Order: sequence, then C-alpha cells, then structure tokens
Amino acid sequence: MTIPTRRESRREQHKRGGTGAQVTVRNTLIAYAFMLPFLILLVVYHTWPVFFGTYLAFTKYNVISPPEWVGLDNFRELTSDEQFWSGLRNSLKYILVVPIIQGLSIAVAMLVNRPMKGIGFFRTAYYVPVVTSFAVVGLIWTWMYQQEGPVNFVLQALGLMKEPHSLLNNPFTALYAVMFVTLWKGIGYYMVLYLAGLQAIAPELEEAAVIDGATRLQVFWNITLPGLRPTILVCSLLSTISAIKVFEEIYVMTSGGPAGSTYTALFYTYSRAFVDFKFGQAAAAGLIIAVISILFGLVNFRLTRGGRADA
Amino acid sequence: MLEQPATTPPQRQAATAQETAHVASGLRARKRRKDRLTNGLAYFVLGVIALIMLYPFYWTLITSFEPTGNIYQAKLWPSGFSFKNYVEVFQGTTVPFWRMVLNSVIICTLGVTLTVSFAALAAYPLAKMRFPGRDLIFYAILTLMVLPNEAGLIVNYSTTVNLGLLRQDNPVLNVLAQYAAVVLPGMASIVGLFLIRQAYLGVPMELIEAARIDGARELTIWRRVMLPLALPTIVAFSILEFVAYWNSFLWARIVLRDKELLPLSAGLLELSGTFSTNSRAVMAGAVLTILPILIVFAFGQKYFMKGIEGAVKG
Repeated sequence: MTIPTRRESRREQHKRGGTGAQVTVRNTLIAYAFMLPFLILLVVYHTWPVFFGTYLAFTKYNVISPPEWVGLDNFRELTSDEQFWSGLRNSLKYILVVPIIQGLSIAVAMLVNRPMKGIGFFRTAYYVPVVTSFAVVGLIWTWMYQQEGPVNFVLQALGLMKEPHSLLNNPFTALYAVMFVTLWKGIGYYMVLYLAGLQAIAPELEEAAVIDGATRLQVFWNITLPGLRPTILVCSLLSTISAIKVFEEIYVMTSGGPAGSTYTALFYTYSRAFVDFKFGQAAAAGLIIAVISILFGLVNFRLTRGGRADA
Repeated sequence: MLEQPATTPPQRQAATAQETAHVASGLRARKRRKDRLTNGLAYFVLGVIALIMLYPFYWTLITSFEPTGNIYQAKLWPSGFSFKNYVEVFQGTTVPFWRMVLNSVIICTLGVTLTVSFAALAAYPLAKMRFPGRDLIFYAILTLMVLPNEAGLIVNYSTTVNLGLLRQDNPVLNVLAQYAAVVLPGMASIVGLFLIRQAYLGVPMELIEAARIDGARELTIWRRVMLPLALPTIVAFSILEFVAYWNSFLWARIVLRDKELLPLSAGLLELSGTFSTNSRAVMAGAVLTILPILIVFAFGQKYFMKGIEGAVKG
C-alpha cells in the first residue's frame, strides 16, 4: 500500500527483462532464506521426533547413553504390563467425553446464536475456562471437589448424593470427576467453532423450511445438523484425539491415582520416560497410542461421512 | 361473462389480503408471546451455564481473600477480608514469586516474538513466491500437522539434553540456554504458518509486483506490504501464542533443572506442593496467574475468536 505504482519504472523493468517473480537461482535462495529459521525448528522439533521416536520404540534408551536396538522387546514387555493395559483402558473410557462435549457444545452454540440482548457476555463467560491454564484449572477443581467443598454441596442439595464424598480420592468416581473438568474447560472452545459453523448455514434454508411448515425439531434434524456436519467432523476428531491423549488434567489433579483409576495411556508414557527413564519403552507405548488415535480418526471420518454437508 | 373473471380476482385478492393480514397479526402476537417465553427460558439456561463456568473462579477469588475459616465450603461471600495470603505469595518465602513472574515475561516475550516472526517470514514465499520445491514443502508441513506424535515429549527432551541446553557449567549462559530449552520446541507453529499464509493469499499480487518493479527487496516488501496487510491475523495469532506460552507448564517442569527459572503457571504447582499448609496462598497465586490472561483476553477477544476459527479451518 505504501509503495506507489509508477508506470515508467514498470517500463524500465520490462526493458531490463522481467520482474522479480521469475524463478531464478537468486529468487529461490531468497525464498528459502525466508523459510530457514522455521524449517530448521520444524525439522528438529517436529519431523525428527516422528522418525526418531519410532526408532526409539525398538531400542533401550535412557538419554545419557546411545540407544541400543532390542527389536520387539519393548512391545513384548508392554503387552505383559498390566499397568499399560489399564492406562489404555482408561484412555479409551475417556472417549466417553467426546459425544457429551460435542452434544453440549452444539446446544450451547445454538443458544448463544440467538439474537438476544447481552448474548456477548455469555459467549465470553463460557470461553474463560478455555483460556485458563490447566495448572490453574486443575488446582481450582481439586479444591472444588474437596469433601466439604462446593461440588459436594451442590450434589447433596440436588439430592444426588446422600453424604459427602471425596470424589477425587474415590477410585469409582475419580475418572469421571476429571472428565467433568475436561468437559467444563472444553465446551467454550467447541462452542466457538460450532457458532462459526451455524453462522455459515444460509438462513434462507431454515426460513424456507419453517414456511413449509417444518417443526423446530425437523429444521434442526434436516437442516441445521447436516449443515454442521463438516464442523462436527473436525470437532469430534479433535476431541477424540485429545481424549485418547488426555494428560494435563490427570497430571495436575490425580497423578493417575487413586489406585490407578485415572492412570491413562499418556500418563504411562510420561512416567515410563520421566520417572523410570525407560525412554524406549515410553516411545513404544507412544507409538501404540499414535496408531490407536489414527484408527479412531478414520472411524470418526466414516461416522460423519467425511464431513460432507450434502451427505 | 367475459369481464367477470377479470374483475373478481382483485376483489378476492383484497379480501384474502385483509384476512391474511389479520391472521398474520394474530400469528405474530402469538409468536411474540412464544418468543418472550422461549427467551426467558433461554436466559435461564444461559445463566445456569454461566454460573457453572464462572463460579469456580469467583469461589477461588473470594476464598483467596479470607484470612481464616472453613476454606473449602461453598460460599457466596468471603467470611472475612485480608491481603494476608497475597502478602505471603509476594514475599515469596518458599517460592520466588517475582522471579517466576519475570521468567513468565521472558518466556512469553521470547516465545511470542520469535514464533510469530518465524511463521510470518516462512509464510511469505509459500504464499507469494514461485520457487522449486514449494508444493513439496507445503504438503510435507501439512502431513506433519496430521501425523500423531505421541513420542514428541520424549524425543524433544532427548534433543534438548543432547543440544547441551541443560548443561550446568556457566551460570549466565546456562540460564539463557534453559530459557531457550523451554521456548524452542514450540517455536515452529504450523497452525500459525497456515493462518498467516491464508492472510497473505488475500494480498493482491499487483501490489507485490509493483513493489518488485520499483526495485524493492523481498524483505522490504514483506515488512512494508505483507505485514501491514496481514496485521489482524498476526495480532490474532500473537494473542493465541501469548495465552499458550503463559499457560504452558508441563514442558517447563520436565526440562528445567533450576526451580528458580520456572514460569508462573509451572511455579504455581510448586507452590501447591510447598504451601500445602496454606491453600489460600495457592489460591492467591492462582488468581495472580489468571489475571494477565483475562486482561489480554478482554482486550483481544474479537481477535482471539477469529484466530481459533482460522486455526481450525486453516
């Protein structure tokens, strides 16, 4: 904008032969120079882990001495490690969060999509947990879940519980208590995405359906939901992968306890690496989790019919 | 006979129009009544959700100001008021609070500036230059984004150790190296690259051509044409990155040997460990940790939401 287009200079340039957009050695070098810092970091911290991580899964490695090839030993050990299986089971159980968080986020997005006074306040309020660190969120909910704390107060007031329980210290409730925190923190995020999806649906479609005598439910089922399908694909994919990889809330709130009831697959990876310094075994577990999340991604893709709005 | 059909329809139309108007007004009144009811219901539901979302923060805030009393109780007002817990945090007897604030500021400044600059630089040739290997690089980066990488933490730790960033031999250089160790792994943001590339694509090619014809160097074009025109996206991405760096704690806790260098959010967890006798002081620390984020979020909310949408679409 700040650079004026001068006709005479363009003519001069033509005399000299072409513009800078041409593919020359010099321009190629310039292009790569622009990308250099980014590409170096990308290779070191993104590409290298994919390859080296896969390699490490077949080695014994403790960071200090070089990795030592052990073949499939790590995987053999994993399959006989009850802790790994229980971690995997808990991670898969965690996928329960996905349909709930997606359903609630769609509902909330439809609510805050209404043209009402003060709706901006609600959108902002629901987003505050999203921008808060898991360090803070985890601590806050650890306090909220205390036996004499607000959560127990509400559950008892609603008649859902006879006597107070320390929900995070009970092996039967701890995982669900942590799931609620994931839900609480994530709804605002998906709400924003669904809101964008809703606003992309042509309002004429819904109006026409209403004129033709469609009920609210019919409009939602036949117009809103199909229109949201691409968003649903992306969101459920994101939340399935983060459910399988759930870690930070566990790390802050329960550290896998009580009695291993919140011990998840990635927590296993973490403690194998940074507590036991068995990096090879941790990498093998990581590889298995990666394969599982790819499989779930594909299932998700099929379930939402590839996210096509017309399907 | 012949004229009749020509004259009656307008009459009939008028009559039906009147009828329709009547019916419509009735419908509209009913709709208004129904709307008021559904709006009331909607506000109620919205209010309940807002309460669930905000009460934990409010509860933490008021409890952090209480000097004594039943700490974990559900409450609407603090049972007393004092700055005692905040003073305890500020004095930093067990955890160096001000040092952690400084660490957070350094990590965020370094992280945001470099992450945004590197993404903004790299996006330019990918959006607006022709050179061999462009599509290859573009698709390689795209693949990298969808490839799951559960061993990332492990390998990046090994890389950080092997780069010598955690060495303990020179007091000044080691501090710098440890800050670098915290910031470097997140610095190549693929999401940021795509966001900014998308913004660059919207810049008219004529503008760039004109600048090139005038003999402007590519770096000048980038700085004087591309950056100003992509500014809203760059601001949005910067806010996203600030929140991400300020909030991240796991990597810092794994990689930093020196507890003095922990950023605030990671230090908060140290605080909860060492201050276990006074949870209210930890609550005060939590309030202080959220505060900057809330301020940035309040001012940059519009950008922030756009950034999130763009990040997922891109």
